[in-house]
Amino acid sequence: MPEYLVKESGLKEFFQSLANGRHLLTPQGTGDKCKLEEAGPDKVNLDYSNTHMSPKSAFFPQSENLMAFHNKSDKPNPFVYQDLGDKAQPTVIFGIRPCDARGLSISNRVFQNDRFTDPYWKGKYEQTIKIGLACASPSPQCFCAAMGGSPYGELGLDVLAFKVEGGLGLKPVTAQGEELIKQTNAAQEDLAQEIKKQEAKAIEAQGVGTDLKPIDDKDLMELFQDPHWTATAENCLNCGVCTFFCPTCHCFDIQDEQSEQGGIRMRNWDTCMSWLFTVHGTGHNPRPSKTERVRQRFMHKLKYIPLKQDGIRGCTGCGRCVVMCPVNIDIREVALKMCQPPAQSQA
Amino acid sequence: MNNPYLPYPVRIAEIRVETEDKNLRTFKFEFLNPGDEEKFAYLPGQFAELSVPGQGEIPIGIASSPTEKGFVLFTVNRVGQVSSYMHNMKAGDIMGIRGPLGHPYPLEGLKGKNLVIIAGGFAVTTLRSTITWLLEPSNRPNYGQITFIYGARTPGLLLYKEEWMAWEKRDDINVYVTIDREVPNWNYRVGFVPAVTKEVCPPPENTAALICGPPIMIKFTQPVLEDAGYKPDNIIMSLENRMKCGLGICGRCNVGPEYVCKDGPVFTLAQLNRLPKEY
Repeated sequence: MPEYLVKESGLKEFFQSLANGRHLLTPQGTGDKCKLEEAGPDKVNLDYSNTHMSPKSAFFPQSENLMAFHNKSDKPNPFVYQDLGDKAQPTVIFGIRPCDARGLSISNRVFQNDRFTDPYWKGKYEQTIKIGLACASPSPQCFCAAMGGSPYGELGLDVLAFKVEGGLGLKPVTAQGEELIKQTNAAQEDLAQEIKKQEAKAIEAQGVGTDLKPIDDKDLMELFQDPHWTATAENCLNCGVCTFFCPTCHCFDIQDEQSEQGGIRMRNWDTCMSWLFTVHGTGHNPRPSKTERVRQRFMHKLKYIPLKQDGIRGCTGCGRCVVMCPVNIDIREVALKMCQPPAQSQA
Repeated sequence: MNNPYLPYPVRIAEIRVETEDKNLRTFKFEFLNPGDEEKFAYLPGQFAELSVPGQGEIPIGIASSPTEKGFVLFTVNRVGQVSSYMHNMKAGDIMGIRGPLGHPYPLEGLKGKNLVIIAGGFAVTTLRSTITWLLEPSNRPNYGQITFIYGARTPGLLLYKEEWMAWEKRDDINVYVTIDREVPNWNYRVGFVPAVTKEVCPPPENTAALICGPPIMIKFTQPVLEDAGYKPDNIIMSLENRMKCGLGICGRCNVGPEYVCKDGPVFTLAQLNRLPKEY
């Protein structure tokens, strides 16, 4: 597909046409206030490192009502849960960073897996056109390239946008994305070489880091039984902030809430750092201490997801957990430990 | 679109107290809406989420067999919020069931083989389903010798007495029921399941074992079977873990990369030997 260009003077009109008949979410605010929000097309912030939270909540809200029932025996179907449906509306998100788009694509294969489709996720995911914004100058916390991604990665996106001198370049990734671009004031322009040049520069600036292939090559049980996990987990507080910010953490709890008239069933984000997450009714817990829980999180990201998703790692290198962790647990250091032969990983 | 979170509404048709401690009750459900029973097409070994409005859901193995029409059976141990609430519900009450979930026992692939079915305590539920299915006249000729070993602590803790007593009278299944310690008027075996298995289990040639029971029983029965020459591919087990969605999405029941709900709960010992013991 050919690339397109929007001149700087036409940006306001471009965002206006994206919003035509759709909700338009764009990066608003700066620093740790930066988030994807609906706002006027003239207020789009194009100079942010990344949004404070990943965009997962646009598809998988932190708390979401799934179904409801009433208990009035004079009305039809008392005590029978009725689907509250998915209220998804046509939406365009502009400004998803490639790491986060990759995260959405990974989560999409969980919510729409080989056996079941989550209708609440699917409705939002499929009604949303995702426009990424490439990272010309990655932040110090970024390591997407080390995890197999790229600051100019396209996975999970419909369109990849990138800044060029005097405007905004657009590279359609899907037919749906190209269709949308054609409805705007963007004009065709050959920018293929420009993207390549920018991408090479951005990856060089980030540094690729160590090759994590040893993790792919090692047997799952070898990684699991490695003695380093006790030391790796030692500082962890099991606070769960890593799972809260992670773009690929998708675990949830289902809870019922009752009122006098009936009740609702909802789902809420959950965390594998919690003891309650896995405890059985009998009191037995397959992951009884933080060592097992910390191991679960890193094994899930770096071994289990790649095994299930054609080698794609469950960490996208966004760096949020590295920045947010109160005790400075760094997934890059854990990954390096996992790469080493058992004798050396204990250090 | 089909919503796999939405339970089928059912009416409790009957509640049977199964054990002398009254902690286990079997619930017989009938579907409220015509057509839902057909949509709930299941096979032995699968489970469902029992869904009580306002209380929550619990994953429970299906105890009835698909050859039994017009109802589904679940035996529920009183443990937590939902199961305790269910123990106070009455025939006629409305609730929901969601499923079927998980994979069944690989009965199709076991055609032509002898089967030894080993159950301990109330984990016998999906094996009740399996045996009922196997003894159906259209299925029985497809399998060789069937041996059923079932143990509980006391006679009063054995489930499905009517069923296993009827099976005992048949000549196409060998039934060995055992309790831990001798009690008066007990006419069956005494001893732990591993010891009985050692004594009566058929030779491993062309034979598969299905095991369901408490961890301690599995721990001591597994070596008995392996010593008898059973290959890990032919030892089939069913796992339990805490679950919520049952669809491989909510993330808590994984054993390594496999979700017990979506990829299990049935695994061969050969599969489990390659996975972390997080269950």
